[in-house]
Amino acid sequence: MASDSVIEIRGLTKTYGAGRKATLALSQLDLTVKRGEIFGYLGPNGAGKTTTIRLLLDLIRPSAGSAKIFGLDIRADSVEIHRRIGFLPGELNLWEGRTGEQIINYVASVRGDSRGIVKHADELAERLDLDTSKRVRDLSSGNKRKLGLVISMMHSPELLILDEPTGGLDPLVQQTFHEMMDEYRAKGKTVFLSSHVLSEVQAICDRVGILRDGEVKAVESVDKITTVDFHWVDVVFRDSLPAGLPQQLERISTITDVSTNGARVRMRMVGDFDPLLRAISNGYVEMLHIEEPSLEEIFLAFYSGDEEPAK
Amino acid sequence: MTGIVIRNTLRTSWKQILYWGVGLGALGLYIDFIAMSPDIISGYADILKSMPPAMLKAFGVSGIELLTTPEGWIVSVFVAEAAIFLSVFAVLAGLNISANDEQSGVMDVILSLPISRAAYLLERWIGFALIGLGVVVLCALITLAGIIGMNVDAPLDVILKSILNLYPAALLVMTVTCLLATALRRRAVAVGVSAAFVVVSYLFNALGAAASGAIADFMTGVSYFSYVEGEAFVIGAYDPIDSVIVFAAILIGFVLSLRTFVSRDIGI
Repeated sequence: MASDSVIEIRGLTKTYGAGRKATLALSQLDLTVKRGEIFGYLGPNGAGKTTTIRLLLDLIRPSAGSAKIFGLDIRADSVEIHRRIGFLPGELNLWEGRTGEQIINYVASVRGDSRGIVKHADELAERLDLDTSKRVRDLSSGNKRKLGLVISMMHSPELLILDEPTGGLDPLVQQTFHEMMDEYRAKGKTVFLSSHVLSEVQAICDRVGILRDGEVKAVESVDKITTVDFHWVDVVFRDSLPAGLPQQLERISTITDVSTNGARVRMRMVGDFDPLLRAISNGYVEMLHIEEPSLEEIFLAFYSGDEEPAK
Repeated sequence: MTGIVIRNTLRTSWKQILYWGVGLGALGLYIDFIAMSPDIISGYADILKSMPPAMLKAFGVSGIELLTTPEGWIVSVFVAEAAIFLSVFAVLAGLNISANDEQSGVMDVILSLPISRAAYLLERWIGFALIGLGVVVLCALITLAGIIGMNVDAPLDVILKSILNLYPAALLVMTVTCLLATALRRRAVAVGVSAAFVVVSYLFNALGAAASGAIADFMTGVSYFSYVEGEAFVIGAYDPIDSVIVFAAILIGFVLSLRTFVSRDIGI
């Protein structure tokens, strides 16, 4: 394994059930996550994100294939791996009758060096504005999530595995979370983050893997995937649209999805801008807005059934 | 194995020792109170005399003479009833070892920590085994205190041994429930099968004792109740082999639980 790989997955396959009832949850997954990166793992519900994470944590066992974390086998060396990772499950369940403080103390004692870990947990709780003296049953879903984040991060793990980490968090706390992830990256630590919130992945991840029906469809840098070769262009004219402009735009082969709204025209454009500029030169352009495709659109392109993102 | 999970189990569940220990102890005090009066127990004995011996055996009484002594009364009535109540405790404890946390989803958090599945299960089992021991000891102390306080003329060592002899039975039921929960995964199914195990075992012991022949011997032989009867201490017929058999069954049951828990998917 290359020394800069933290997670290396080869041919990982998971089938639930047997015989006719067998369900393929993950098929021949190959994936590498490098040290110091924040890797976004994208996919809709049922795509296999949580299955991948549960396999990595040795909570479930692969039907085929293997995976290593820090060069250690996920099954044979799970205890050593767990010592060096932090995990936040997608559906976080904790002991309802116990306070956050009690849970933090227990988890810290299992991890060892409990004094240092608890001190860091207190700092994290303060930063996330979490009251750890309350019982879990009295916490809102957002505060439970915060407690989960504290538990996963309080021992400053080398690798964080987060399953839908910001679900239920308010925007301010999400911002704090994003800052924490930036700090993790700055410290050279690694984050493996599953999400279906694409704007979040866009905001904090370095690379993204897109999963569909248990198969990875693409792994790209977020920069690359967001600079895919099409743009949304909005043109606003001062008075009204030049006569025949929509028809003229539709004749240009690199422009599609033309829509108008008063003096505004919006289109999807591939390639050079020159044909567009020539077409709109008859009017007085008050504003020209060029928008890169969102990850949502790229995501939808993947899910449209194409192997490659739509251009 | 660090003992952290054992300590945590004791810290979070120690109150069970109080609840169950005091509850069973109260039952013991009630039986002590009746045993205080030879007239009452001989009155009961007279009533029971009208029952056929086979029926008596089915209720766990091997002979009327035994019931007429305070120690025979306490052991025959109290220990037999306590064995049933302790079985309920043991089923609940067996579920607490892993099934409850797995079903609630907490197990995902636990097993993402640096502790192996085997160590976790072992420490939980030890934790609840210690709680069970606490229950039995507290129950025994309260019962013995009642005997002393009420001046019941019964040998304390016999009563103590017969109550402590309930502990292996409780451990066995707890281990069987743990095994069923790890193998069947569904808590409700595990509870049902465990309860069936206790009830069938009780019936086999009672019916087997009331009859004779190979089938009756078989029924008695496969019932764990027949290995932990307190009467053996009263009539001086206690055989340590019985305890060895129960502990061997506990060991086998736990090893099977461990193998199942370590090898399967969690929380599916």
